[in-house]
Amino acid sequence: MAVSLSDLSPNPAASIGLASGGGSPAEADLPDFSSEGYKDAYSRINAIVIEGEQEAHDNYLSLATLLPDQAEELARLARMEMKHKKGFTACAANLGVVADMPFARAFFTPLRDNFQQALAEGKLVTCLLIQSILIEAFAIAAYHIYIPVADPFARKITEGVVQDEYTHLNYGQEWLKANLEASRLELEEANRANLPHVRRMLEQVADDAGVLQMDQEDLMADFMTSYQEVLIEIGFTSREIARMATAALLG
Amino acid sequence: MARWAACLVRRFPIPKVSIVMFGLIGHSTSLDDARSKAASLGFPEYAEGDFEMWCVAPPQLVETVEVTSRTGQVIKGAYIDSVFVPEMLSRFKTAKRKVLSAMELAQKHGIAITALGGFTSIIFENLNLLKEQQIRSTRLEWERFTTGNTHTAWVIAQQVVHNAPRLGIDLARAKVAVVGATGDIGSAVCHWLQRQGVGELLLVARRPQPLLDLQAELGSGRVLELNEALAEADVVVWVASLPQSLSIDADLLPRPCLMIDGGYPKNLDSRFSGDGIQVIKGGIVEFWQDLGWQMMEMADMANPRRQLFACFAEAMLLEFEGIHTNFSWGRNNISLANMDLIGEASLRHGFRALALDSVQPGTLVPA
Repeated sequence: MAVSLSDLSPNPAASIGLASGGGSPAEADLPDFSSEGYKDAYSRINAIVIEGEQEAHDNYLSLATLLPDQAEELARLARMEMKHKKGFTACAANLGVVADMPFARAFFTPLRDNFQQALAEGKLVTCLLIQSILIEAFAIAAYHIYIPVADPFARKITEGVVQDEYTHLNYGQEWLKANLEASRLELEEANRANLPHVRRMLEQVADDAGVLQMDQEDLMADFMTSYQEVLIEIGFTSREIARMATAALLG
Repeated sequence: MARWAACLVRRFPIPKVSIVMFGLIGHSTSLDDARSKAASLGFPEYAEGDFEMWCVAPPQLVETVEVTSRTGQVIKGAYIDSVFVPEMLSRFKTAKRKVLSAMELAQKHGIAITALGGFTSIIFENLNLLKEQQIRSTRLEWERFTTGNTHTAWVIAQQVVHNAPRLGIDLARAKVAVVGATGDIGSAVCHWLQRQGVGELLLVARRPQPLLDLQAELGSGRVLELNEALAEADVVVWVASLPQSLSIDADLLPRPCLMIDGGYPKNLDSRFSGDGIQVIKGGIVEFWQDLGWQMMEMADMANPRRQLFACFAEAMLLEFEGIHTNFSWGRNNISLANMDLIGEASLRHGFRALALDSVQPGTLVPA
């Protein structure tokens, strides 16, 4: 059903508060990639991406110790992450930016610590949730929102990376789907413990992401969508997902 | 499976095969309504969530339904709540994302034809979302969606034709004002009524040039300001939203007067009803039997088990008829032939336009 808002009042769209015009990021003015403000923010965002890819590489190799029969596949995923890291390193060089790696190391500390603790305890489900679901969904959301406002060089690289990340998300998803009943309790517990970190991470980068014209609400919404899709595929009901996903929003 | 093949499967997961073949994208009428609906559907976290949470929440496929035509044919469909509420209209990025995400969800479920309900199609049109075909990793296939406007226009035309005589209005002599005449639904209604034969069409819209173009297309009709048209109109078809600030003097209207409230949201009866003026909710149909769903209770229908928006019914009709295409799409593309086609299907499968003798709001407590 539709009626045209533009048919009656002098400014009907405004009368219900609906802005006219698309305002899509693709059409909006892109940021000034050479400005000091952009480079400063980029030094942290880019570092997070580089560090994220490095940690993903390390985590997939660690997962192979818990899943020795899948070591070859996990090594392949790890190699992809290293390729991504090189790509994003080139993006920084292209803009003449030095990535702020100490910031990025600190940024990942909570999730890294939780991953390492789970690894030490042999908690495969928790490790998979953290790396292959939460971090990958976080990355996919960030890349989706970044691509329309990226510089041309980085856009091309990021478009290639985002396809790979779906493969990684799919890896954890398929394993958890096949082992859902045995994993359910640990999965719910790991969700409760780690999802709030994702929200805080998104909040922590909101200002810098804003300089890059990446909207925080878009980031969160895109993450929630990817996360919900994975949980549906794994086999959770929509009510269970609402309960799990809102742990991030309300926690 | 060969390793390379396994890699391909992982990289390009096979889409889920779904038995749900028609879809409806809707939303609640306010945040408060949405919260109480969430509570009743078993989503307490959403019920307690604040506005910001609702802004980032993904769309939900909340209900599946089986619909049996009067012919005996059975189809299956799904109701997707876009998790949009009208309070988000002032945040156009949020509104845009809500609509596109709901469409993405429908497509990912393999739904063949989905109607955009309520504000969804208005947002789609006003924010020109045709330019936003890529959403995340999904390229939206427009042929899977319909605005439902062809059926809505046909239903509104039926409401005029069948209800005017009941008030003693002779359509052959009556003056019919169409407010929002140049819009997608408005122009279709004008063309249909002209073919039907009415005394005179009074054409009202904001922008002069499209009005003059429409008048030229019709070869008849008089272009008037709103108050001038109301002062003469025996029948008023509203297919534009009525801004809250717009003040209209009901005393202007001749008596008797039939008003078809085809705008969204439907808010005319509170302003005009009574004293010789009869208001019918426009673009609403009743099904021949109860629909086993809950969702129309959210839309404030008088009989939510049977009444629904004609645009939603269009998705059902297209599924019944096996017409898997964006039947109503874009602006001013509605043909009389398509109105006739969807109208015949509507009657055959058991829909009828809401009429003066239908249950009106407030006279029936939902079952």
